[in-house]
Amino acid sequence: MRRERPLGCRSRLRSRSAVTVPKGRDDAARADAQAAGGKPAEEAVVIESFLAELAAFRDAASDTLGGVAESSGLEQARIEFLGARSGRLKAIQKLLSGLAAGDRPAGGRHFNEAKAAVTALFAAAQERLAAGDVTGVDGAADVIDVTLPGEPVRLGHVHPITQTIRRVQEIMARLGFESVDGPEVEDQWHNFEALAIPAEHPARDPLDNFYLAVARGADPLLLRSQTSTVQIRVMENRRPPLRIVSLGRVYRPDTADATHYPMFHQVEGLLIEPGTTMAHLKSVLRQLASSFLGGDVHVRFRPSFFPFTEPSVEFDMEWGGRWIEMGGAGMVDPAVLAAVGYDPDEVSGFAFGLGVERIAARRYGVADIRDFYRNDVRFLRQF
Amino acid sequence: MIISTNWLSDYVSLSASTEALVERLLLSGLNHESTWAVGTDTAIEIEVTSNRPDCLGHIGVAREAAVLFERPLHIPDPRPQEAAAPAAADIAVEILEPELCPFYSARVIKGVRVGPSPQWLVDRLATVGVASVNNVVDITNYVMLECGQPLHAFDLARIRGGRITVRRALPGESFTAINHKTYTLTDVMGVIADAEGPVALAGVMGDAGTEIAADTTDILLESAQFAPLAVRAAARGLVLASGSSYRFERVPDPAAVDWASRRAAAMIVEIAGGQVSGGVVEAGQLKASPATIHLRHGRVAEVLGIEIPADRQQAILSGLGFVAETVDGAGSRWRAPTWRRDCWREIDLVEEIARIEGYDRVPENEPIAARPVAESARERTVRRAADVLVAAGLCEAMTRSVVGERLEVTASPWGDTPPLVCAPPLVRGADRLRRTLLPSLLEARGANMAVGGQRPDLFETARGYLARSADASGQASGNRPTAATPVEEPLLVSFVMGGSFAVGKGMAEAVLERLGIATHAANGLRVVFQPVVLDLFAAGRAAEIVLERPGLPAERVGVIGEVAVAPLAAAGLKNPVVAAELRLDRLEFAVDMEPSRCRPSDFPSIERDVNLIVDQKVPWGDLVTAIREGSGVLLEECRLVQVWTDAERLGAGKKSFVVSLRLRSHSGTLSGEEAKRTVEAVVAACGRQCGAVLRA
Repeated sequence: MRRERPLGCRSRLRSRSAVTVPKGRDDAARADAQAAGGKPAEEAVVIESFLAELAAFRDAASDTLGGVAESSGLEQARIEFLGARSGRLKAIQKLLSGLAAGDRPAGGRHFNEAKAAVTALFAAAQERLAAGDVTGVDGAADVIDVTLPGEPVRLGHVHPITQTIRRVQEIMARLGFESVDGPEVEDQWHNFEALAIPAEHPARDPLDNFYLAVARGADPLLLRSQTSTVQIRVMENRRPPLRIVSLGRVYRPDTADATHYPMFHQVEGLLIEPGTTMAHLKSVLRQLASSFLGGDVHVRFRPSFFPFTEPSVEFDMEWGGRWIEMGGAGMVDPAVLAAVGYDPDEVSGFAFGLGVERIAARRYGVADIRDFYRNDVRFLRQF
Repeated sequence: MIISTNWLSDYVSLSASTEALVERLLLSGLNHESTWAVGTDTAIEIEVTSNRPDCLGHIGVAREAAVLFERPLHIPDPRPQEAAAPAAADIAVEILEPELCPFYSARVIKGVRVGPSPQWLVDRLATVGVASVNNVVDITNYVMLECGQPLHAFDLARIRGGRITVRRALPGESFTAINHKTYTLTDVMGVIADAEGPVALAGVMGDAGTEIAADTTDILLESAQFAPLAVRAAARGLVLASGSSYRFERVPDPAAVDWASRRAAAMIVEIAGGQVSGGVVEAGQLKASPATIHLRHGRVAEVLGIEIPADRQQAILSGLGFVAETVDGAGSRWRAPTWRRDCWREIDLVEEIARIEGYDRVPENEPIAARPVAESARERTVRRAADVLVAAGLCEAMTRSVVGERLEVTASPWGDTPPLVCAPPLVRGADRLRRTLLPSLLEARGANMAVGGQRPDLFETARGYLARSADASGQASGNRPTAATPVEEPLLVSFVMGGSFAVGKGMAEAVLERLGIATHAANGLRVVFQPVVLDLFAAGRAAEIVLERPGLPAERVGVIGEVAVAPLAAAGLKNPVVAAELRLDRLEFAVDMEPSRCRPSDFPSIERDVNLIVDQKVPWGDLVTAIREGSGVLLEECRLVQVWTDAERLGAGKKSFVVSLRLRSHSGTLSGEEAKRTVEAVVAACGRQCGAVLRA
């Protein structure tokens, strides 16, 4: 309510400040003015006392005008300092004629400067009051309401899924894993065959994949169902040692609900180096878990089954006293190494995969992963 | 799979608590779902991976428990007494499709009394969530849940013609299952037929006509092998999954075909009475090929990173049913049990040893050697582009890669081949792989506006999908296709925001600048904005962004424009929107991440404004090229101050560009004379190239 009515807010503040006009200072200034104007005009005036008068005039005007907090006070000050009939400036002007002839040019110059300065002070005070500024509290100028809203700066937001991917990428980069990217439309070899998923495997069922309706002989294309395809492509083109993370969108025909979406993101790690064991896998996952979740996090393996790793495990991370399922992992199956032309007796390696939506949902407390794809800025701006 | 702990104790006597059992099973590969009490029994629901059909029966789970807790395993060896009269006198079996059904066996039991099951049987089935039907049907279910081999009992009297034929279903053949629903079959499915038609959908479900009823006295007991793909096709095609189809899809233990038949026959005689006829009527060849595997004991440590003594390795394998054929110091040779079709290589044995020994023994503090790694050019390009857009206040969106017809555009900025289509659709009605992200972002903006979202300026980084023309895609040869896919996937960064062309152009230029690709860059890279016509954009208010590089053909790297009325309206938008799309896959090769820049000059600059009058049709881009050419090295910055037209003061068809030039030298303070000469040269060049006249 209050944010929508800044004007009302401001006028309240102004009326409050109106009662704090600095009376004491005003009285003192007036006494000074009387003292200065008391001398007869025709009397000879020495330049020093003339300059002192000017200085006193400027100081008093500066004090008064700087502290003025309402228009009636400003008008009063104008009459006092700059008034054409009996203002203090007028009085000082009369002294000018009393100066010695030789001093008059210098005196005139100082007089004009002082006049310009006080006129400017008056204009500034006028402007300030017109803008509704709050001053005059205890006579100090430029006091602001520090609780008023700042000028807004509009910030953009990186999508929480991207933030999660970047976080994992950064952690893995410190462990020497390079991020790689690959096509989302894949062939049977990279999505299945090379990953030891044979033709009769249920994972290749047309109902469980998004096959493309383009004729391409006996090798239909599909939207990749896992990012392991990228690992195959990298291994086909490079020799060990190899440390990569492949990441991106993958597609599986699931009915969208709070925990499923037919399009989601995976991050998969792959390390191929001679002498790699499951102990290295567990240690790397522990380092990932500790960096991602913070603190010293332990990792647990549960045996599982994936065609492209052997042994295969699900890995859990201990968080808040509970074991949280994070993803699947295992030692790269010798059949996969052979498929890309590596010798399984010479090199070994491990692979692991994480579902990004799931860990992002957990990290940010998002109950329904469909929220990640609604693109509602009210949601996105929370990240 | 639901396990009854009472039932489990028939085969293995465990002193451990249910919690300890569940924990050990969980850590050895049988994921725990939940545990609950059923009367005096306890039900444990476990998740069984597709490679372990042996654990779809209580005996398989009992074997795991026996190995884990090092307890003996007891499996019954049923030997039903057979009558002299042979089963073959009552039934004949023929397999026409060995591919669908490698092996079929039939036992005959005569003179049974069908009735309610004894309470213990009802209770056990209740624990695992199976309702009691009658004693004979309950026994077939019980034996399946015991050993994982599905069985089916027919009423022998209702099998017409005394003959069973296993064949392919005829296309359009109709079948009424025991659930009394009628299904239309296809020829990928197998059926068990009598003389007149199907009496069972092979491996899935029996029919209503031959089911065991109160008046049944003679039984045909089927125990067979069915091909997983055919069973799967039937169960999925008809949406008729059963406990039987689930197990056949995963290939049960071949040795259990006979065991289950004997076990069920013995139980039927014991519980429902009757007499087992002599012999088994069989057809086909039992498919079983247990592997022989050599294990190097040292291999276990090489894979796992922990030492497990050879005798422990052997004890684990023996406990799991592997049979040692030879053992020597460094290795051993094993015959895999019939129920472990998944074990046929050394690595499979390593995994068995590992999961029984327990992965908790694998240490989690084995460091890997440090290895340097750097961000790839693509990563840096993507991140820099996103960083600019986020800094400028845009929110990153993620929209679906596959869209419906409504979000299609007739011409994509990236080629006019029609979109690729996928099946099934990603979501209802969305089956086209998008060629541009812009319609999706417009839709997202519209959805935000509909809920009162404030300034939903959005961007997205994602791939588009473009079919390559037939001749461009290399056809795969042999088993391993070429590395290139026949689909081009441009990496796009796109944004939609409220405002005019100029607002969007400023944003696009900021992104390009951050990538080191300025409109006028010293490194030879140059992007130019040229008018373009695209459906998505309002006529005359759109541009293509073209990258020019020395020695390479110019190519389109982006498009930008004010969105036309029709797409705006389709997205439910009213106010002006500007949209742009850049191809990061083309820009990443041009990106100048580590530019070498010169030191700023220490000498003062001179600013001069010139007011140049040109014809209306002369674009600013041409004028600025002339200015740069005319000014030479002294021009530091050329800024457009104002464009105005005034028929009276400038003349009809004319416009004025007010340009502010900042001149500076690297070698000394510029004199007024030098500045004057430069301005004169600029005016001359503009006059020559653009017909510009200096306004006095």
